[in-house]
Amino acid sequence: MEHHSEISHNRYNVLIEFAHIHLEFQRPELESVLSLHDIAIGRDCIEVPLPSSIPTVENYRPFLILSFDYHYAKEKFNLDDDGYVIQSDMSRFSKIDRTKPTIASVLSRCTLIRSAIELWGAGPSFDSCVEHARQLSSGCAGRITLENCMKLSSSWKITIHTLGTKFNREEQNDMRMKFAFFNLPGKVQMVNPTNEFLLIREVELDPKGTPLSQERDNFLSPPLAVYYGRVLGGIRDWRGNGRLDQFSLKKRSYLGPTSMDAELSLIMTNLGLVRNGSFCFDPFVGTGSILLTCGLRGGYCVGTDIDIRVLRGRSDEENVLSNFKQFRLNRPDLIRSDNALYHRHYRMNKPIYDVIVTDPPYGIRAGARKSGTKEEKIRAIPEDRRHDHIAQTKVYPVSDVMGDLLDVSARTLVMGGRLVYIIPSMRDFDVEKDLPNHECLEIAHVCYQPLQTELGRRVVVMKKVKEYDPSLRESYLSSVWINGPESAEKCANIRERLLEAAKLKPGYEEKAAYRKKRRQITREEKKKQRAKHV
Amino acid sequence: MRLLTHNTLRNNSAEANGKGYPLKISAVEVRVDDASEVGTDSEREIAFVKGILDMLDWKILVKAAAELGLNTLPPTLNENLVNDDNFLRALYHVLMNVHLVKGMLTCPDTGREFPVTDGTVDFTMEEDECENVRY
Repeated sequence: MEHHSEISHNRYNVLIEFAHIHLEFQRPELESVLSLHDIAIGRDCIEVPLPSSIPTVENYRPFLILSFDYHYAKEKFNLDDDGYVIQSDMSRFSKIDRTKPTIASVLSRCTLIRSAIELWGAGPSFDSCVEHARQLSSGCAGRITLENCMKLSSSWKITIHTLGTKFNREEQNDMRMKFAFFNLPGKVQMVNPTNEFLLIREVELDPKGTPLSQERDNFLSPPLAVYYGRVLGGIRDWRGNGRLDQFSLKKRSYLGPTSMDAELSLIMTNLGLVRNGSFCFDPFVGTGSILLTCGLRGGYCVGTDIDIRVLRGRSDEENVLSNFKQFRLNRPDLIRSDNALYHRHYRMNKPIYDVIVTDPPYGIRAGARKSGTKEEKIRAIPEDRRHDHIAQTKVYPVSDVMGDLLDVSARTLVMGGRLVYIIPSMRDFDVEKDLPNHECLEIAHVCYQPLQTELGRRVVVMKKVKEYDPSLRESYLSSVWINGPESAEKCANIRERLLEAAKLKPGYEEKAAYRKKRRQITREEKKKQRAKHV
Repeated sequence: MRLLTHNTLRNNSAEANGKGYPLKISAVEVRVDDASEVGTDSEREIAFVKGILDMLDWKILVKAAAELGLNTLPPTLNENLVNDDNFLRALYHVLMNVHLVKGMLTCPDTGREFPVTDGTVDFTMEEDECENVRY
């Protein structure tokens, strides 16, 4: 009989369903979160290939099956998993767990996971899934799983998840009845049952995540795969539960033009392995959105920025600190300084940071600034003017921003500590050659997020693997770019490149002329207004 | 600015000749956090302090604490203290809950001053101080 022999009932199997967003980030985020619990795919669990009714599926499938040795799973996790484990108050979320965590509490930290189920049956077709489920108690893990469920279950229900295909009530009931052989005790309860079972009928998705058309000549296409299992964490869809809401940009008291979407900073702190008690640093703190997320995960935060206006915020109620206060977190220490001059202000005798997470300035929205004048001759500022003088800043080429960032990270991260940064890049980009390098740092992940057709951003995760030697600073800095100025160019000056690309588009001349005219009109209006009030 | 942060700061200018620390603190306004404002998690605090203990310059810390009006730290560390949870929690409080809100940091070698306003240290360099730092 054809059923998926790799999904063995002698092992404890978990099916993970991802959201269809930030595709390149999903596995790195999952691996990072697992590593926080010292779990490595390949070493402590294995990834089992998904069953499939089609030999080669080109499009992305939002599912992943992790298979654990049962004894390992029993040792590592609390497998009873009843009730809600996803706490909405994240500021107290990650206490160091003395007791064993549940699988749901481990996995729910991944922002890109929708749900996890304890897999009872799976196959490339409905019947093969049922058949596989019938075999559940034939395996040692499956038998215990079923026994435990029999003991605990006082109420249950089966939810059917059919990814875009509609089935009427009768058809749905038929599907449910196929699993009646389990003979679960207790009653069916639609609202808040003790156990929720999920029957998933997977179909192929297009690149945007929409199910491909399922009907051809009035016949329903067969599913890609069918899964059946018990929902972990007590909630069918973690993302739909409003978990991210409290961090949504709308709720924060202070936002700036570069505050990035809350979801991306949550993912970045996962990639950086921020945990309760981590010492976190953001050298380009801006409005503090990333640092705030570090704080929410229990980190101690330090941020620097050269722009006093951003650090001060708009008022006493709207600044970086008010965001932290809003969530009852320790205030971050903020220092106004130029990252290019890090070595001028800090002792750096010993590495201190566990994580450096940042969104460096790259000249598209916020301009990057570095201290120093544009003029050739430098005049000393008279003593009495010093404290209020706002030194001129000059443009800080992106290639230098990255070089300094890597060097400061290499120097101040503890061994194994992580640097997570964002870099804008065109889709066409050689990850091997065009990213900045440092002898002391090794790339762990690179994830691309498309923003426009050709432009997107990459989140790069590096870890410190070698101790920093201060006498080699110049050599480190001069070998940041493998292909020299060419690679730096690909990351730098994106604004110019966007401008050039726009110029080539038809209608650019007319649009530019129109915009110029409108600006002139606005200026004249303003002049008139001012003249009136004088 | 916390005492932990102050411990890492220096004025590493050419004139200071490789020293430039500890920065002397003249405090105008100091604030001490009330534990109830931020919540306490002693396990986490102790773990954190143990982690950074290695990196602290104890003499600098004692002097800086005194400049902020705190004279309770012992002049040196020893084995017993480092393993005493109560001491570590008290140390956490000194390092993390005491904030210099307004004041001045002065370089002991050159006299250069760095203002602290609203708890934020200002290290902006003037044009003539920005020596060419690359290569």
